[in-house]
Amino acid sequence: MTMKELIVEYRKQRHLFVWLIPLAFLAALFLWGGAGQRNLSDYDLAQGYSYLLCQLPVLNCIIMPIMLAVIASRICDIEVKGQTWKLLFTLQDKGRFYDRKFLTEFLYLLLFCVGELGILLLYGRIYGYTEPIPAILCLRHLAAALLAGSAVLTLQHVLSLLSVNQIVPLLTGLAGSFLGLFSEFFPAAVARLVLWGYFGAFTPYRIDWDEAAGEVLLVPKIFPTGLFIGFFIFTVLFSLLCRYIFVRKEL
Amino acid sequence: METVIETNALTKSYHGKNAVEDLDLSVPAGCIYGFLGPNGAGKSTTMKMLLGLVKPTRGNVSILGKPLNDRNRLSLLKGIGSLIESPAYYGHLSGRDNLSLIASLKQVPEKQVEDVLGIVRLKEQQHKKVSHYSLGMKQRLGLAAALLGYPALLLLDEPTNGLDPAGIQEMRELICTLPQKYGMTILVSSHLLAEIDQMATHVGIIDRGILIFQDRLDILHEHSRPGISLRTTDDDAACRLLVQNGLPVQRTDDTLFLDSHRDSDVLRMGKILYSMNIGLLRIEERQASLEDIFLHLTGQC
Repeated sequence: MTMKELIVEYRKQRHLFVWLIPLAFLAALFLWGGAGQRNLSDYDLAQGYSYLLCQLPVLNCIIMPIMLAVIASRICDIEVKGQTWKLLFTLQDKGRFYDRKFLTEFLYLLLFCVGELGILLLYGRIYGYTEPIPAILCLRHLAAALLAGSAVLTLQHVLSLLSVNQIVPLLTGLAGSFLGLFSEFFPAAVARLVLWGYFGAFTPYRIDWDEAAGEVLLVPKIFPTGLFIGFFIFTVLFSLLCRYIFVRKEL
Repeated sequence: METVIETNALTKSYHGKNAVEDLDLSVPAGCIYGFLGPNGAGKSTTMKMLLGLVKPTRGNVSILGKPLNDRNRLSLLKGIGSLIESPAYYGHLSGRDNLSLIASLKQVPEKQVEDVLGIVRLKEQQHKKVSHYSLGMKQRLGLAAALLGYPALLLLDEPTNGLDPAGIQEMRELICTLPQKYGMTILVSSHLLAEIDQMATHVGIIDRGILIFQDRLDILHEHSRPGISLRTTDDDAACRLLVQNGLPVQRTDDTLFLDSHRDSDVLRMGKILYSMNIGLLRIEERQASLEDIFLHLTGQC
């Protein structure tokens, strides 16, 4: 895929302000985070980053499916509405078209995930967290959010491209948000069957309540490497399947 | 004459039913080929197969002298402009932005955008959002997009669909100028015979997926040569007599039809009928319209 092709894809999005979508969700995230940062004790400041890293995956379960549904739908709908495929596929390969569109959507996902870490670091600066920046945990969070985001984005991408009415992918995103959140309360084996639940599957801590001290306890969790690799392989295979379905579909 | 499109036994089936069957299309270079057929006859499916948008169930396609396959499809299609079913556009962008995008994808110089805007007479509305265009303007934009790169072959699927009479006239005039001005070959489909009659030099008629006529338009017109229709006091006897005397006469439901309008044949016919005391009740010259021929060929009459 050439840079020129990618630029053409962004030129198509002129006046659509797609970049505003992840920025709006980041702003909401920033405001939510700010609400929980008042009256922080020394204990809270000593685990400020860790606490946020524990909270963000849960928030991603709610936010990301909706955000990704809106991004994919907005980007793919311009082709669906204008019936441009009959022209485009005489000029370019269907598979490359699918990949390029996915890549532009993925870059918005990346923007959001990096922005999320930016908010984390910003709060550390503003409120003076005493905890050293947990770089490894931050990178793990980034990798997990990008992986789960890619899987959900793949589904939203193919649904948006194949649906004449964008209400279908948008409702899927909304339902995914609920399912992802509630899967946290399902038995582990069942929760792993819910695609949207993987945003919360790689959280670095488990929250406990220390009754004696009256404080929130963050219990470190071992990173589930096997699950991560397994889900990575699933995401790759799922992407190939969705791409195959799209490429095979005749106009 | 060199052919730019050649299909051989081209067939497309959906759920075991043939939408297009054993189609042998032959489009000569430099012509306007009118691809005619009733709605649902298989015109759009054929055009999509010519562009590789739909895979044929069997048969093959040659475009610009080369067989079309998955490997060379995109490079071959660089020499083709197309407008299939309805114009493709990005409604949130201006007409100019739309054409610039297509120019980038076709890898043709940006300068051509200006040129094609002039050809389709959209210069004044080029900065307007396409979602605010009328259907006629969208069709012209679609044609402009197809013209980018000045392709050797243009495939236009029902380009006047949904246009008002003035728009139809304008589009028709535009299409007719292209072969002379730019040396293009045009394949234009329509379900309206009169439209093809005014544009095409060659015609192919498809019905229920089968090509039932393909030749020059003037050959089709020959089918409409005039004859004499008459009624007599005894049509059966008159028919028998005239045939016995070597005149090309056919019996239809309530008239006789002399398949000739030469004065000598008409004179001889009158003499024969007079000699046998058969009275002539009505006589008129008749010419089958293209409409009649079309309906006859497609079995709709």
